[in-house]
Amino acid sequence: MLMLKAMPSTAGDPARDAVPATKMRLSIHSEGSRGLRFLLDRGAHSVFLACALVVVALIVGILVFLSLRGFAAFLPLAGNTGRTLSFAEVFLSTEWAPSSDKFGILSFMAGSLSVTMLALLVAAPSGILTAVFVTLLAPGWMKTLMRQVMDLLVGIPSVVYGIFGLTFLLPLISAKWLKDSPAAGFFAAACILMVMIVPTIVSLSMDAFEALPRTLDEGALALGSTRWQSIWRVLIPAASPRLLTAVVLGMGRAIGEAMAVQMVIGNNPAWLSLMREATDRAPLIRFLFTPAATLTTELVQELPNTAAGSAWNNVLFAMGLLLFLMTMGIILATRRLGQRGAV
Amino acid sequence: MPITDHQEQKPVKLRARNLDFSYGDKKVLDGISMDIFAEQATAIIGPSGCGKSTFLKCFNRIHEVSSEVRVAGDLEIDGVDIFRGGIHEVELRRRVGMVFQKPNPFPKSIYENVVFGPKLFGVRDRDILDGIAEESLRKAALWDEVKDRLKESAMSMSGGQQQRLCIARALAVNPEVLLMDEPCSALDPIATAKIEELIFELKKEFTVLMVTHNMQQAARVSDYTAFFWLGRLIEMGPTERIFTNPRDRMTEDYISGRFG
Ligand SMILES: Nc1ncnc2c1ncn2[C@@H]1O[C@H](COP(=O)(O)OP(=O)(O)O)[C@@H](O)[C@H]1O
Ligand SMILES: [Mg+2]
Repeated sequence: MLMLKAMPSTAGDPARDAVPATKMRLSIHSEGSRGLRFLLDRGAHSVFLACALVVVALIVGILVFLSLRGFAAFLPLAGNTGRTLSFAEVFLSTEWAPSSDKFGILSFMAGSLSVTMLALLVAAPSGILTAVFVTLLAPGWMKTLMRQVMDLLVGIPSVVYGIFGLTFLLPLISAKWLKDSPAAGFFAAACILMVMIVPTIVSLSMDAFEALPRTLDEGALALGSTRWQSIWRVLIPAASPRLLTAVVLGMGRAIGEAMAVQMVIGNNPAWLSLMREATDRAPLIRFLFTPAATLTTELVQELPNTAAGSAWNNVLFAMGLLLFLMTMGIILATRRLGQRGAV
Repeated sequence: MPITDHQEQKPVKLRARNLDFSYGDKKVLDGISMDIFAEQATAIIGPSGCGKSTFLKCFNRIHEVSSEVRVAGDLEIDGVDIFRGGIHEVELRRRVGMVFQKPNPFPKSIYENVVFGPKLFGVRDRDILDGIAEESLRKAALWDEVKDRLKESAMSMSGGQQQRLCIARALAVNPEVLLMDEPCSALDPIATAKIEELIFELKKEFTVLMVTHNMQQAARVSDYTAFFWLGRLIEMGPTERIFTNPRDRMTEDYISGRFG
């Protein structure tokens, strides 16, 4: 490297022309490899560029495909074999009966919202409180341990959670609380989702608290706060934009999850009417333990059985597009929140 | 070693006797004995790392929150022992306010910053809180600048304003002692002058114990000056005497800028 830099300036200098032959050869050699490296650089550059372009093209392609197929239900496109639907009958109706030409997906939207909110109801406060405890109250080694455990949990494939729910959680609930009647429904799904998103929320909330300047805590204590007063009145509010981001990202994960939910939710598209009819049980019990369905579970269940171009198939794609837009919205929202938190 | 050479009329507010202090195994203060008089400003000077901040923080025990500390010797406020359970640390911190080196306002409104302390102690009445806020901000010479924007975030203020807000926040709980750890080190000269003026006013009402690395500042605002070196109190006396006629060779070298 040194020789490379020295080469041009020493060329005409008589005092330095007496460079030993070995060194000369070395410098000539590095001149040659410089050309090679230049080519390699160019080559690598093109390879990386090509990779990036392929990835971008793929993503854009998927987006375009999803949008086209998603809107196909509402437009009289050439490939359609069924009739063209209206937005209202799809998004504002709860009646889902493709065989009798009813394509209302409102109940799936409500299902997705229900499991997600139920899961967040427990996961958000418990995740944040865990982070409070681990970052602000517990000894340092516990923080390290918790980080590792959380990272581990985030990496577990969702089907594993599903299997756990199916073989362990459902029989347990059914035996303990339901006198052996089936336990599939929002409750079990929310439990599984909760376990899945808590690590995300804990991990991001820990980041939020660790990012706070120590002087904030000291300032509160110096005014005569107790440990808890400092946490409640200063640290949690100060971290709240990032805590909200943590919760919203957990929410995004919950909405998009299909496999684990599908294994425990019971997959009943007509859950609303079933819930209405089962009047022998208390409303809350009915809500929690009636087999139900969400946008994702319905997609996974039905997409393989439908013919391309049929109204049924098109509506399922519209559901996929809706999920995509919701997740996108969530990511954009967290960006916003993150920016506000940085100020 | 004489604690001070001056016959002070004011009572002793804070007293340290043979105070040793360590972070873990690292000894930082070594046998400090010192009297701090009520309604006077006492400045601690000395090269950085000599334990000034540590000594200051002993009086509100704030460093125990984040560090493993060991203490030997006596520390008293109004004759009551500080370390051995004579007073609960929350009560202690209420009586001994602190202003930090870097302004540390809470990310809340200006108003909420000032009334934070009173609210902690259960004051709920809006009128009383408003009164406390105004009085504290006036004492901190900040009222005229912020009276029309009390609802704005404290983070939108300048550094000097933030530091005065932190002083107002400390005053709002009506402390007896005010600890200030290089309160101007992060500020520009104009903001510094304002804070110095303020300290001059505050010491009429409170006991002020401040750390400064700026000797002119110590000379301008303090009644007493203590010189620390390597965790030891080398010399303490009336500020004027310390700066005109230091008794210890090291003090003389330090204030004349020969080291540190
Ligand atoms: N929390 C802490 N843990 C361990 N050592 C510390 C801590 N705070 C300060 N020290 C050490 O104690 C010594 C005195 O520090 P400090 O009181 O901050 O000095 P000064 O304020 O005079 O600059 C320094 O050597 C510093 O490194
Ligand atoms: Mg210091």
